Amino acid sequence: MALPASKLDPPVNQLVVSKSNPSFWTSSWRIIVKKPGRVIGFIIILLYIFMGLFGPMLYPKQLPIDPNAIYAPISWKYPLGTDFEGTSNLALVITGARYVLFAAFMAAIFTVVFGTVLGLVSGYFLGFSDSVIMRITDFILTIPSFPLLVVLSTVWNFGQPVAMGFVLGITGWGGLARAVRSQTLSLRERGFIEAARSLGLSPMHILMREILPNVGSYIAMNLLLTITGSIYAEVGLFFLGVVPFQVNNWGVMLNLAVFSAGAMSSAQALPYLLSPMLALLILTLGIVLFLDAVDEMFNPRLKEV
Amino acid sequence: MIEVENLTKVYSSKSGIFERQSVRAVRGISFHIPAGGAVSFIGESGCGKTTVGRILAGLESASEGVIRIGGQDVSRVSSKERQALFRTVQLIHQDPYQALNPARSVGQSLLDPLKVMAKTKRVGDSWIRDRANEVLTMVGLDPNSVIHKYPHMLSGGQRQRIVIARALTVEPHVLVADEAVSMIDVSLRLGVLRLLRNLREKLNIALLFITHDVAAARYVGRDGEVHVIYRGLILEKGETDDVIQHPQHPYTQALLSAVPVLKGLEIPGPDRYIPLKEMETREDVETGCLFVSRCPFARDICREKSPLLTGEGHEMACHFAQVRNVVAMPVVAD
Amino acid sequence: MSVENKVEDFSTPIGVHVRNLSVVYETNQGQIPAVNHVDLDIAAGEITGIIGESGSGKSTLAMALMNSVSKPGRITNGSVIVDGIGDMLKISNERQRRVRGKQIGFVFQAAQNSLNPLSRIGHQVLDLGRSHQVGDLRSLLRHARDLLIRLGMDADRVLMSYQHELSGGMRQRVGIMFALVLDARVVILDESTTALDMLSQASVLEIVRELHQERGLTIVLITHDMGVVADLADRIVVMYGGELAEEGPTEDLLRQPQHPYTRGLIRAIPRISGNPDEAIALNGSPPDLQTFAQSGCLFYDRCPDRIAECQAGRPIYKEISDGKKVACYKVDRRD
Repeated sequence: MALPASKLDPPVNQLVVSKSNPSFWTSSWRIIVKKPGRVIGFIIILLYIFMGLFGPMLYPKQLPIDPNAIYAPISWKYPLGTDFEGTSNLALVITGARYVLFAAFMAAIFTVVFGTVLGLVSGYFLGFSDSVIMRITDFILTIPSFPLLVVLSTVWNFGQPVAMGFVLGITGWGGLARAVRSQTLSLRERGFIEAARSLGLSPMHILMREILPNVGSYIAMNLLLTITGSIYAEVGLFFLGVVPFQVNNWGVMLNLAVFSAGAMSSAQALPYLLSPMLALLILTLGIVLFLDAVDEMFNPRLKEV
Repeated sequence: MIEVENLTKVYSSKSGIFERQSVRAVRGISFHIPAGGAVSFIGESGCGKTTVGRILAGLESASEGVIRIGGQDVSRVSSKERQALFRTVQLIHQDPYQALNPARSVGQSLLDPLKVMAKTKRVGDSWIRDRANEVLTMVGLDPNSVIHKYPHMLSGGQRQRIVIARALTVEPHVLVADEAVSMIDVSLRLGVLRLLRNLREKLNIALLFITHDVAAARYVGRDGEVHVIYRGLILEKGETDDVIQHPQHPYTQALLSAVPVLKGLEIPGPDRYIPLKEMETREDVETGCLFVSRCPFARDICREKSPLLTGEGHEMACHFAQVRNVVAMPVVAD
Repeated sequence: MSVENKVEDFSTPIGVHVRNLSVVYETNQGQIPAVNHVDLDIAAGEITGIIGESGSGKSTLAMALMNSVSKPGRITNGSVIVDGIGDMLKISNERQRRVRGKQIGFVFQAAQNSLNPLSRIGHQVLDLGRSHQVGDLRSLLRHARDLLIRLGMDADRVLMSYQHELSGGMRQRVGIMFALVLDARVVILDESTTALDMLSQASVLEIVRELHQERGLTIVLITHDMGVVADLADRIVVMYGGELAEEGPTEDLLRQPQHPYTRGLIRAIPRISGNPDEAIALNGSPPDLQTFAQSGCLFYDRCPDRIAECQAGRPIYKEISDGKKVACYKVDRRD
């Protein structure tokens, strides 16, 4: 059924040539390099990922101790000073990154997966499933998660970062689920969802292909913010000392610096206290700087022509 | 192709814990559109014409009435069959920007329904690609230049063409165009209107054209019918040019008077009349003619007794129906 | 239904004179000339219709008339001289603020709600009065009430309403009331009827027509709908790609359009009488970034009458007969 098209646009009956848009990675790269702040954020995040993946491999399993350099000040040999045993603080920060980052990453993944799926389902299908999911969400939201963690940590072994991440994630998805639900609610009234329904597309397709990309930037931003939030939560737990110290990490460092080394009163232990704090600060900075790019990466409306 | 009898829609909403308010959006209207034919619904915003379109497209359910698509009563078939029936009726939204997913390219938007079609037809990927090109060409777009674009990169007219192309992917028998050109620049409207007209002629697609613009309705459906709808009720209906040239209901006359007059090229009709009052939406005036509060010719009987649709071919619901000259007349070239 | 208004000085209508006005938008892809060296006289006491497609710069021009172009737009050049006030682009900010509302009223597009959703219409009238140092607020409110009645509305109900309680047509009338309540002499209507249906549009236009006659207002009507200006305006200005293409008295311009774009716009209007097939769609799409980059006539790509010359440079906008101006090489050549 060939139809002569209108005169203004002469009929072009050719196959679609694959002159596709630049891939997600190419366009993301372009978005990142647009502003120096984003590049800095990106580099910081890469650096931390590298630290988490390979940090522990850079050093021997037992970090060398140096009895002659206990609480050594900042020097070329010890760029961040040393701790009570004369171990380099830099080495401690680097080797301690894996647990913290991995747990935070797992927490963020759990949060995002639970929050997004439950938010989408309850916002799109409404009715019974919505009522059930939202009551559960309200329940989760009313649980004060930090005290719960303190309680849980007494019965649960948090030696594995996955376990820690799971607990942080399971208590943290409520807010995201509510936000995704409300966005889904407004999207489902939009013409293109109605069109998809009347074209006979499946609900699964509508949720994953039509709605999800529109909340993509929001979810990606939440992923990053949850990472920082979870890091603070777990570091806080270790700092309080409610979780047994099985592995070296930033929270353990903070705890030891304050409660054992007396960094609050003695100036010589200060580098030991400040180095994990600095690590946290820089990571937060990196994530905040990078967030600026995330919105653009996942928002097609901001893409260039 | 599509037959509607006594279609009624009542919206009820809770206005308090014990109270329920109901709004009668559509008050029992009947019409039918033959294959390739056109019926235009003309009325103001809030007159219920959009509701009619949404019910026909299966997006809302009717409170009462019978809808037959291709001879089959939609209330008497299984839900799966009903879905298939409603798929042959595609709605073209007023705002093409709302109707396209901003996060998906034109190609993606077209391929999804085509994949569903390909599955039912048991054909392969090459069919999908050819068909995507075909529908884009049909709506007057160059597939190569638009297929990778996102909606925000297109002009209003192009977007509406994409929406129409997407509707064509499921090979519909009826298009419901709900104010399909009102959001588009006037300079580009005519192109979209001509496309709709071409689709009727070439693909034998029936068109339900919902609009407030009489001239647009005339352009796409001169050989069809015009139904003038007011607060959910048909006040006048008949063949397009008959209704436009010989309007008998004061409301139709008001709508025709509202069409701008091109100074210098046309002179306004001697009976041109534009009511300055807005439409009453409150439900308290239920007896008598619904148009009474804005009608310049209203008399006592209009407040007491509802007029019924009368007439052969050209029907109107008015106690004092009378042809009046409201349409602007072209100035004879000098 | 005439209502007694308090006696005002309606003697001398105010005109607006735009000279060599340029507005650019700063974007990542460079500067876009939204308004490009425009010279325009808006005659006092007349209805001037400015018509153009989206992207023609007509709304930017409207904002520039009040010197309230919003970022990333920037007025780079020119002057806007309002009779009796001076150059809007040079007077102090405080003075500008007073002029807006007091001398120049602006009615926005219905879609962009210019009313505060959180306060009643009556309150907003009082707020407006206070920000313009009106001494007698009670009489201002009375004046607003009279205007609303004049506009065919139930004034007391409207003053007590929030904007969401009003229909689109009613909101637009309220917008006109706000533009006029301080007795503005110049009223700019920017796509004020675009989102309305035909009947509401016609009634709003009818009201504008009557108010214009009663008060000797200077009205600038900005729209993309040729029908609207053809019905109402005394004079039509056609804008394309940030430049003026043609202007002239309405009847003249409609009967003998000189610029091919104007001709195209008039032909693209479907009519309710005569043969509908006489309507011909306008080719191509509205000007975009690439259009602005070309050195020739901006309309070249879409022009049915283009000649070789058109690609060489921009045609000069000049007077061809009394009160008629056009920018087209083809017209130049005909002389």
